[in-house]
Amino acid sequence: MKILEKALLIEILKGLALTLRKMLFAKPVTIQYYDKVRPVPAPGFRGRHALVRDEKTGDTLCIACLRCARVCPSKCIHIEYEIDPQTKRRKVVKYEIEALRCIYCGYCEEVCPVNALVLTEWYEYVGFTRDDLIFDKEKLLKNWDEFIVTQKRPYMNPFWKPRGIPEKFLPAKKRQFTGV
Amino acid sequence: MATYLEINKKQVNEEKWEEPFYINMGPQHPSTHGVLRLFLELEGETIINCTPIIGYLHRGVEKLGETLNYNQAIVLSDRLDYIASAANNTAFALAFEKLMGLEVPRRAKLLRTIVCEMARICNHLLWLATHALDIGAMTVFLYCFRDREWLLNIYEKICGARLTHSYVRVGGVRQDFTQEIIDELYKFTEEFPPRIYDYEILIDVNRIWLKRTKGIAVVPPEDAINLGLTGPCLRGSGIAYDVRKFRPYDAYGEVDFVVPTGKNGDTYDRYRVRMEELRQSNSIIRQCLDKLPETQGEPVLAENAPDLLMPEKVKEPKPQPVPKKGVIFRGVEKPIVPVGEAFASIESPKGELAVYVVSDGSNKPWRLRIRTPSFVHISAIPYMAKNHMVADLIAIIGTLDIVLGDSDR
Repeated sequence: MKILEKALLIEILKGLALTLRKMLFAKPVTIQYYDKVRPVPAPGFRGRHALVRDEKTGDTLCIACLRCARVCPSKCIHIEYEIDPQTKRRKVVKYEIEALRCIYCGYCEEVCPVNALVLTEWYEYVGFTRDDLIFDKEKLLKNWDEFIVTQKRPYMNPFWKPRGIPEKFLPAKKRQFTGV
Repeated sequence: MATYLEINKKQVNEEKWEEPFYINMGPQHPSTHGVLRLFLELEGETIINCTPIIGYLHRGVEKLGETLNYNQAIVLSDRLDYIASAANNTAFALAFEKLMGLEVPRRAKLLRTIVCEMARICNHLLWLATHALDIGAMTVFLYCFRDREWLLNIYEKICGARLTHSYVRVGGVRQDFTQEIIDELYKFTEEFPPRIYDYEILIDVNRIWLKRTKGIAVVPPEDAINLGLTGPCLRGSGIAYDVRKFRPYDAYGEVDFVVPTGKNGDTYDRYRVRMEELRQSNSIIRQCLDKLPETQGEPVLAENAPDLLMPEKVKEPKPQPVPKKGVIFRGVEKPIVPVGEAFASIESPKGELAVYVVSDGSNKPWRLRIRTPSFVHISAIPYMAKNHMVADLIAIIGTLDIVLGDSDR
């Protein structure tokens, strides 16, 4: 029996039958990227960086506490600030993220006490030079404008208030936060 | 054996030689799965001697880990074995938790177990795909990648990244699952076992596959232990050693699973062990998902877990018999992390992954040492490749399941 099975190539024919069945009846899983299908990443996908634009002032929400710059494992966030003499508050002068050095861990948006920084779900971005991918404050605000028109308002990123984290770990402003 | 530089010089200058033929395989060879370089000494087409040369992907992860704090160091572990990063994250987190004496909530333990087993399925699917492609079976490659894609999409929903998750953090996990993810995982666990059966139809009894794998690189049990093999490579030789059973971590103590073993210790047996592990992992995910509703609403992070941004200094007030007014407050520096050392090992998809950490009280590890399975497995290549053909070397590299990011660190 075994010799007959071997002579008739039974096991190879079984395999071929499977591939033929898949070829004729299974739905293709390959997608025609860019022309027809452009996959939508899941909410909370860690993609291109953006600074949230405050609708009242038109400027960033950032308070220059430098927590994101300190928590960054690859040290790719550079912030400079000055202190306003009247209000005694910090004001961001320079905010720069080197997207080329970033490892997209998402720690920065998690530690931000005012939810000023976000890794958007935008994944199709390139640059012709290195400078194109070093985002300064204006570019980061522009990234937000490009991103938010594709989203439902109020927008809430999962990493701004991670699900199931005890309240103790969230700064006061984040606990009541519902979205921008 | 003469050094390869001397030999290369000699071969260039001489027109005829009677000594063995020396050849380099890699680091650009596609089937060395990365940048592994093998220096071969051949007699005809038979390998007499083989020297692995590694270090092309060295990034100094151990030293780099000493410059980052405990939570940041977890990010580095993603880049070790980049096919199963959730397992690496867990190994780091377990060692750090042991050092700090943290108790992880049960829900976090279950979630960790689920992502670890998903990593195992991802890894074994990629291993099967590339191993089969190296040996000459094309269709399995396509089917495996189709299924791996599904798991990566689930990972994307869980933690926002497909490959470098950094999902596990010290004291728990970064965020909870949603109901959508749980439903999708249920669907996956139901549909996956028939697909394993499909792969088996294609290659399990295929005569070409059998000829390429049976009797290739036989490792007897004693030699497997002496060579330091772990994971499926050791179990293929018939030794049922599994860290998940011997020193259960996370939620592995409360789930039922079988440790599959082989008999002959050849490439085919190691393949069978891995295929059986796919089924076991699937059942572990299923059991953990069934246990999740019991812990509904629990936090996923321990109460005393360190913040992502660990402070550089913590001061506590100096004990003073009589508190004075008008004296500037000067505290005594308190260790952030207890001084001491900790060791944790897990069963990563490739073998036993161990992390040893020494703390001097600051927010950074004083010393971080990683024992990776790939590094040890590469050292077994000369033993396994001896007296085999060059074509079988491809099967040997495949069956060991090495990743050079893991070995070079």
